[in-house]
Amino acid sequence: MIDALAYVVVALAGAAAIWGVVTAVANKPPGKAQLLFAAGVEVVTVGQSIIAAAKLAAGFRPVELATTIGYLIGIVILIPIAWLWANAERTRFSGIVLAVAALAVLAMTLRLLVLWTPAA
Amino acid sequence: MTGVPKTQPTGSDVRRTNSGAGRALVAIYGIFALAATARASVQLLTKFEQAPLAYLLSALSGLIYIVATITLARGTRGSRRVALVAIIIELVGVVSIGTLSVVDPEAFPRATVWSVYGIGYGFVPLVLPILGLAWLWRTRAH
Repeated sequence: MIDALAYVVVALAGAAAIWGVVTAVANKPPGKAQLLFAAGVEVVTVGQSIIAAAKLAAGFRPVELATTIGYLIGIVILIPIAWLWANAERTRFSGIVLAVAALAVLAMTLRLLVLWTPAA
Repeated sequence: MTGVPKTQPTGSDVRRTNSGAGRALVAIYGIFALAATARASVQLLTKFEQAPLAYLLSALSGLIYIVATITLARGTRGSRRVALVAIIIELVGVVSIGTLSVVDPEAFPRATVWSVYGIGYGFVPLVLPILGLAWLWRTRAH
């Protein structure tokens, strides 16, 4: 984990969540730019998990290792699944689906920031 | 008189739970299926002896969320029935574990998604089964 990168993920995921709610309120399915943005959030999230995995491999040990690994894996599968689920039936609720996944990524990233403290 | 419109053949007038707002509901259930199951797995694998009851209930909650997610996402007649049972168990679970964790905090050291009515997850675990039941009611056969 790099703290600055985690905050970038939080900001991007927050924006994706708001975007999803906005299109839902406007009664529109997510547009192309919105879907690309979600893919971008995913790329940054994957980057963060890879960096964290590298640091773990290099010997960094957070307090709760198993939980941390679970979060690092879980966080990268949410947006792809939501993306497919949102596109299989394109309605205003597709935006809500993307927003739900983005909020989960946001919450999990904040939790990872707390978990990412070295074991004493 | 041509009678019943052809778009509503007999027996298949169940509105599907996996369409429209149901897709958002399935997404939220999916998140909780993942969260509760992952949390329970870590608890059972790394510290089972500390609070076996809480951790087994944690695993049960994960299982319930998985069943609810899959059955709501399938949206068939049969899966609706299973979803109904799962969501009722979920509601009973979050209310009873929530109450127990308030009355006897020692037994549930914030260890499950249902502790204190899901306070660790913004009380979504308490609202979710109500939304689930409301959705099953709205999509019921007429």
